[in-house]
Amino acid sequence: MATVATPKALACPNCGGPIEIRGYAHTLSVVCPGCLTVLDATNPQLAILQMFQGQQRILPGIPLGSRGTFEATVWEVIGFQIREVTTEDARYGWSEYLLFNPYKGFRYLSEYNGHWNYIRVLSALPEKTMDRGNKLARYQGKTFAHFDHAPARTTYVLGEFPWQVVVGETAEVDDYVAPPLMLSSETMAGEITWSLGEYYTGQQIWRAFKLPGYPSPAMGVFANQPSPMAAKVRSLWTTWLWLTILLAAMFFYFTASAARQEVFRDSYTMTPGTASAAPFVTKDFTLTGRTSNLEIDTSTNINNDWVYFNFALINQDTGQARDFGREVSRYQDEGSSRDRVVLPRVPPGKYYLRIEPEKTAGSAFLYYEIVIRRDVPRLGWFLLAFFVLFIPPVFASLRAFAFENARWRDSDHPRVTSGGSD
Amino acid sequence: MNPLYFGFGILLLALTGTAEYRGWSFTPVNENKVAPKSIRDNPGAYRSSYGGYSRYIGGK
Repeated sequence: MATVATPKALACPNCGGPIEIRGYAHTLSVVCPGCLTVLDATNPQLAILQMFQGQQRILPGIPLGSRGTFEATVWEVIGFQIREVTTEDARYGWSEYLLFNPYKGFRYLSEYNGHWNYIRVLSALPEKTMDRGNKLARYQGKTFAHFDHAPARTTYVLGEFPWQVVVGETAEVDDYVAPPLMLSSETMAGEITWSLGEYYTGQQIWRAFKLPGYPSPAMGVFANQPSPMAAKVRSLWTTWLWLTILLAAMFFYFTASAARQEVFRDSYTMTPGTASAAPFVTKDFTLTGRTSNLEIDTSTNINNDWVYFNFALINQDTGQARDFGREVSRYQDEGSSRDRVVLPRVPPGKYYLRIEPEKTAGSAFLYYEIVIRRDVPRLGWFLLAFFVLFIPPVFASLRAFAFENARWRDSDHPRVTSGGSD
Repeated sequence: MNPLYFGFGILLLALTGTAEYRGWSFTPVNENKVAPKSIRDNPGAYRSSYGGYSRYIGGK
């Protein structure tokens, strides 16, 4: 593991306060912690570059000199700055920490609303491109989507920097995201610097620096914050696919193995207003095997007419009756002259049917046939299961969609735009 | 694979299979009662639960 050397101590030419330089020859400017004067570190006398009167002192969340471990390397915080973006609607700022290791160079930490990024400057240039009108950047085989463009102004500095830091300096910043990574380009005085950030939580940063207490809680959704739902949504849909295949297999099995046993068939006639319209009972029929459903299939000769059947399925041994009424009506192309109904959970036994047909007096002669089948396949339960299986993945997808909308809301490319009013 | 959802799905499939195997229905069309033994001799004396009020009364 690479280590960090002890700092060099100097005095501020403005206030006389002690100044520590941790970056040695790398440090080009240093800020006096006492009076916040920016000093030229390349000058043996520490020439004053910029002075401030009465500037509000801001304490970094991670104190200068703190040491933390990232990528198995110890890094020391040597600089801190606050940068701001001002738009027509709002002004927002974020903190940047400069990390130094004498063998590895510099890294950065940025923090905004409790969201952190561990950043390194790139030596290779990403490729900027367009796809269907969207600005993209490609780096090491990864594609990053353009997030926003803004001029970032430095408003506060503390510590030391490997460049001539000046409060008020402005850089044009473009951010591209591919969570948990973020590519940023900073353009200043015609010079472009690319950096690659990786999202960290406050807890991870606090652990890396072994800081006491707790970090500020993260607010909102950050540009390259990994969606907590993305992996879950993929796994839910994969599981859904397997369960649906299993459900389909079950449906085909039950459909193929259903007995569909015809246990009764008879035909009858009825002339309304005569004795043939009186209630009657059928011959007995026997249901064997397990408790299962029973389909009553009624075919009639009606046309532009209707008939109503009061049915009762009666167990001859127990006397238990199951009443049900069925209307059969057909008018031109509407309705049907046939009706099918499935009775659930009919135990085995000897049964007969009581039939009471009803029809308008004086209407046409009725011919009908009753067919009873045992154990017929039904789609209902499978359809219900199919829709219930949809609920978890659809719900998770909606949450993931809402997370992505929140991510892109503050970008230059919001996915959902709110309508304005005049 | 999501183990929680998979467990839920397997339970749901087991319930579906049981419902289909046992012939359950979520839209029952019948009522149970004990019919008199004399119904075979006098079918007209039996009063169906559906008789008298659910018959079709219209038509075109």
